[in-house]
Amino acid sequence: MREKGSPGRPSFGIPGSSLLQRAASLLGRHLIFVGLAIFLAVFPIWAKPLSRPLGINLIMVMRMVGIYTVAAVGLNILMGYAGQISLGHGAFLGIGAYTSALLALKAHLPVWLSIPVAVVVTALVGLLVAPVLRLKGHYLAMATLGLGIIFYVFMREMTWLTGGNNGLREIPALSFPGVKIGQARDYLRAEYYFIWTLALIVLLLCSNLVRSRVGRAMRALHESEVAANVMGVDVSWEKIKAFVLSTGLAGLAGAVFAHIQGYIDPNLFTITLSIQLVTMVVVGGMESIWGAVAGAGVITFIPKIVEALPKWLGEVPRWVEKYSNYEGMVFGLILVLTMIFLPSGITKGLADLVRYRRNPFVNPFRKKAMEE
Amino acid sequence: MLKEKGSENSPGITFPPEIPTSCARDLEKGAAGDEILKVSDLTKTFGGLAAVKDVSFSVRRGMIKAIIGPNGAGKTTLYDLLTGLYQPDKGTALFEGKSILGLPPHRIAALGIARTFQTVRIFPRMTVRENVMVGMHSRTRSGMTGCALRLPGSIREEAWMEEESMTYLDLVGLEMQSDNLAGALPFGQQRLLEIARALATSPRLILLDEPASGLNAYETRELGEIIFRIRDMGITVLLVEHDMGLVMRISEEILVLDYGEVIAEGTPEEVRSDPKVIEAYLGADV
Repeated sequence: MREKGSPGRPSFGIPGSSLLQRAASLLGRHLIFVGLAIFLAVFPIWAKPLSRPLGINLIMVMRMVGIYTVAAVGLNILMGYAGQISLGHGAFLGIGAYTSALLALKAHLPVWLSIPVAVVVTALVGLLVAPVLRLKGHYLAMATLGLGIIFYVFMREMTWLTGGNNGLREIPALSFPGVKIGQARDYLRAEYYFIWTLALIVLLLCSNLVRSRVGRAMRALHESEVAANVMGVDVSWEKIKAFVLSTGLAGLAGAVFAHIQGYIDPNLFTITLSIQLVTMVVVGGMESIWGAVAGAGVITFIPKIVEALPKWLGEVPRWVEKYSNYEGMVFGLILVLTMIFLPSGITKGLADLVRYRRNPFVNPFRKKAMEE
Repeated sequence: MLKEKGSENSPGITFPPEIPTSCARDLEKGAAGDEILKVSDLTKTFGGLAAVKDVSFSVRRGMIKAIIGPNGAGKTTLYDLLTGLYQPDKGTALFEGKSILGLPPHRIAALGIARTFQTVRIFPRMTVRENVMVGMHSRTRSGMTGCALRLPGSIREEAWMEEESMTYLDLVGLEMQSDNLAGALPFGQQRLLEIARALATSPRLILLDEPASGLNAYETRELGEIIFRIRDMGITVLLVEHDMGLVMRISEEILVLDYGEVIAEGTPEEVRSDPKVIEAYLGADV
């Protein structure tokens, strides 16, 4: 991916380069970013006419993709770059969602204030549990899994605060001083633009981060903790930084989610969500900021597409329909196929395929051609 | 390898005409000849087995000192103790008069001790230059906010790091490979990259752990030249090595370990003729 080769290109920001050069290199550096932003800006125009024949409300789904992107970018920094797995990030979305919702409902805080507070609270909770990062590999996976379960039980059992299994209802919609996003006439589209502006800012900041001194330290400790440590990297501190960043972003995603959804309950933030987030990171591509977008998109869209399939195909045979969860099976099958054919994720896998298309070790079709 | 296989007669690495000044910036700190490292009674046991036992020695600034000994003599354990990867059971180690025992590895690196590893531990999925830039971690300050927002300070620092990292790659002759993935380098060049990365921490003492193992005769000769270069930059070199030819040729003093204990110390000539050393280590060959 682009963030890997950065030192090779002429470095932008060196004094002396002309303004035009600087603008050009800035554009080059952020080509994917600019392309994505333009695509997202014009997307609603043709999303509406397309939604009906497809049987999918594209804007509504894309809103969720944006929210998942924010969470997946954070998790990708933790997992893909710093190499620390977390199977409990669903809980941090939950903490963000509950904090913001409760602040808005019970303390009557305006939404534009409750969201940042929720982010800070979630990041602090992340800091509080950061000592689990002393564990490695499978042990860390187990511990974070446990954390997720603990938070789930808390949310379900603290009925006086969280409403238990009934959850929280009538959470105020997104609104900012002067701009009432959630009450706009076309509120879906307004929320879509808000969420993706947020997501693009997060993507930009994170792609800057991973290409910097901090990002390098995280990647270094991923590859060899001992070597990174001896080279002067405070390994445990870098891990904590990555973890707190990822929990903060999960909190942000959760808080925004609570306000666009209007209701939340503990069952939204279970282990299933945590695993979905991990899947987004892995399918999209570890150690790739843009992989988070691709992963969030694929994982969010696949179930919707599978759901809409009967509408496209006309009728589904009865024996297929009888499997009430055949969506899940198709979903699983796609994941398995992705992992077999693009083990380094969609973004990286495709980029490698293009870059090394002549290399038989990368391109499976070449391999066959060579054997023949 | 310093060059492609089968081109034995082509010139090897070429060095920049002069020593990069930034590498030699600490040359003035402390006069040559004083004790840069003083180790006394260092002991480390693993479940009753003493890997390092009452080891005492000192290293004078600006010298090349070798540590030799049969396999399992405790050489690498000694390095691990000096770089903070292990905590000793007893003993002291003073680096420039300050105790370094009990400090975490990254603090010791910041103080000015760098090392390489016997089994190469580069960061294979990062580029050659990025590897060296990680070495400069403790010399730079940009934080998360600065990096994420690309504040002028961190942009400047990043530009400086990119430029500065090339000096170290020049030094070991890897400047042409700077954008290749480190894992794609041939083994000999990975060893050189480790040395460049260690130098990037701007150390005053460098601990080399069997830098010549796995290198052919030609590469070993080049390595000797690089070690001389490092010494000429004002960096004290401590060298663990099995290649006796290299050790005898470049080191000023040799420390011999056997079963975790010091059995001899002195100039190459003294060590070579020491009966204890011959018995423990060189016996079969001499």
